[in-house]
Amino acid sequence: MFRRALLGLAALLPLGIGVARAAPPAPAELKIGTLYASSGPFASISMPVYDALKIWINEKNAEGGVFVKPYNKKIPIKLISYDDQSSTATAATLYNQLITQDKVDLLIADSGSVLTSVAVPIAKEHKMFLFDVSGTGGTFFTKDNPYIGLMADPVSTIWPKYIADFLDDIGVKNGIKKVAILYSTNDFTGTQAAAVRGFIKKAGKLDIVYDQGVPTSTSNYTVLLNNIAAHNPDAVLELGYVGNDIAFLRNLQDSGDKFRFVFTIYGGTEMDELLKNVGAAAMQGTFSYVPAALYDYKPNFGPTLEQFRAAWDKAYPKGSGVEWGANAVYGYMTGLVLERTLATTASMDQMAIHNAVFGLSGKLNTLDGPFALNAEGAQVGEITPLGQLQMQGKDLKLVAVYPPKFAKGKADLGK
Amino acid sequence: MPDRKRIAGDLGLAALVVVAMSVAHGVYSNELLLFNFVMFLTLSQGLNLIYGFTGYLPFGYVGFFGAGAYGFALAVMHLHSPPLLALAIAGLAALVLAVILAPLLRLSGAYFAIASLAAAQALYEVIANPDLQDLTKGPYGVSLSGVFAPRLSYFVAVAIMAVTFALVVWLRNSRFGLSLQAIREDPVSAAMAGVSVVRGRMVAWLLSSVIAGLSGGVFAWHISVFYPDTVFDVTFSIFATVFTLFGGATTLTGPLLGVFFLYGVYNAIGITVPQYFQLIYGALIMGLVLFLPNGLVSLLTRRGFRVP
Repeated sequence: MFRRALLGLAALLPLGIGVARAAPPAPAELKIGTLYASSGPFASISMPVYDALKIWINEKNAEGGVFVKPYNKKIPIKLISYDDQSSTATAATLYNQLITQDKVDLLIADSGSVLTSVAVPIAKEHKMFLFDVSGTGGTFFTKDNPYIGLMADPVSTIWPKYIADFLDDIGVKNGIKKVAILYSTNDFTGTQAAAVRGFIKKAGKLDIVYDQGVPTSTSNYTVLLNNIAAHNPDAVLELGYVGNDIAFLRNLQDSGDKFRFVFTIYGGTEMDELLKNVGAAAMQGTFSYVPAALYDYKPNFGPTLEQFRAAWDKAYPKGSGVEWGANAVYGYMTGLVLERTLATTASMDQMAIHNAVFGLSGKLNTLDGPFALNAEGAQVGEITPLGQLQMQGKDLKLVAVYPPKFAKGKADLGK
Repeated sequence: MPDRKRIAGDLGLAALVVVAMSVAHGVYSNELLLFNFVMFLTLSQGLNLIYGFTGYLPFGYVGFFGAGAYGFALAVMHLHSPPLLALAIAGLAALVLAVILAPLLRLSGAYFAIASLAAAQALYEVIANPDLQDLTKGPYGVSLSGVFAPRLSYFVAVAIMAVTFALVVWLRNSRFGLSLQAIREDPVSAAMAGVSVVRGRMVAWLLSSVIAGLSGGVFAWHISVFYPDTVFDVTFSIFATVFTLFGGATTLTGPLLGVFFLYGVYNAIGITVPQYFQLIYGALIMGLVLFLPNGLVSLLTRRGFRVP
């Protein structure tokens, strides 16, 4: 009798285990919520991210959906998105809308620090993990907030390390002594200015002869360039947003001033956009960061840069008005992090999502380079090599020149 | 002797909105959208105090809002004040600014409107100055996550709105309110009739500024992370002005109608199809200016009905 009961129990055991381990009922679709800015000052950095994210979603849906481990199956993605028109007040309401009304499963912030800033406390309040694409504001990442992870941009303090190292190393050897820093007073560029100032002062090899912050709305640099020229610097670092860099480079070309080292953030980061608005002649010889959009990293997950570029060109052919650049890579890369997160998370609980994202840290390499987060969720894995825009034949190319292990060419500092 | 029935009717309408916005919090979960409604209801009525009753239209009304937001932030960051004390400091910051800007009341019409806008812009530039980073955090924004309390701050915002409504009802039904309207219509005649023009304008100006300052303070408390651009965004002034004009100034009902209708439309279609929204918004405002210059309430008032 006892034996029969035991056998019966043994027969039921796999079934029981099967019941206990059965995946919860899968939803018909996975809701991903995000915002974008089709107009206003942040449209130029927001739309490429949004457009690239849509490419990733279309790819996954074409494959039947994205694999979600807790349900052990592929689930189609439904993108719920709203246009915040670059307004933080509108964005705040819409983030709330996504969380409380649309009840999205995953929340992705709009591009840049300003439009991400309002999402940080809202996500924390609702215990919703925020996939922060490129909001690098230092105040976002705190020990008491586990509901945020920075995907694609390194924190602003890391960006200018190689500019300072280059000037202190190669620059000093080539006679560069005096540096001018001109920056737009916003979170992103202001933090970079503070960081590069700190690096240069710490090394003590260069003299900062001009250090000026100007409003981000500045669109004419003529007087500022005259002021800079009066201090006779060898190197000029202009740290601004796309619009600032366009105006600065145009005014620099018109002024006829020559400096041995001129740096802008978006000369390389959004090269196509600047080429269209400024032209190759004004950009030639200037320095910039080498973004992932122009540097072929070796990914261990997802497509190579070349493969993604082909997908991008197919989705947004020339003349469609959508420009290729670093932000396109950031958007797609965010999709890749989502994909790996969903494939590894223990459940769809937001802390489990947090654990899955942080579990990728140090292990994931995408077309955007290494992905690594610090304890507070700030991105510290990505690197920003220094490049110079050099003519190669008839084309202007951004050539990585520093640090040596990433260099693909030699810097020309002129005389 | 004011008509008690009229006052009761006015207060009844105010109480209805206050109760509706309080109850809505438990029914509708997009708290920030509700908060924005409460904030614009308060700001529109605050603007109504100075524009509706005295005829002064401050385009730079957002300056008081921003001053309140930063008054709150500085009190929390540097004095470690509890939120309610910081809110009082926010109101005080706006009051001090209003006293400093009081000489602007010597101007009138477009000159006053533009001068107030310039003053708000000047204040923004001072607060966003990178050299004041240690004090205001400059252009890099403030984070007040330590006092973040969306539920409590929502109900405090409703309380501020209730007090503002009560002020408007008082002005609608008091001798002082009547004297303000007399000043608006003809300051010389009002002065000759014994009305203290300077005192009347000054009181309305200060009350209006404190309301904006308290709104700014509670907004800072509610969102907790913001940049100078966020709280000095001229959109606040534009919205408050348009809502007030659309519904009809000098009444309690007008700004309420303006906010519920226009901000409702904004959230219904402005988010999904912003291009159509701008077209519709523009057409609505043009139509109003052409056919109903005194706002929607004038549809009733010109037929002899009294609107609260």
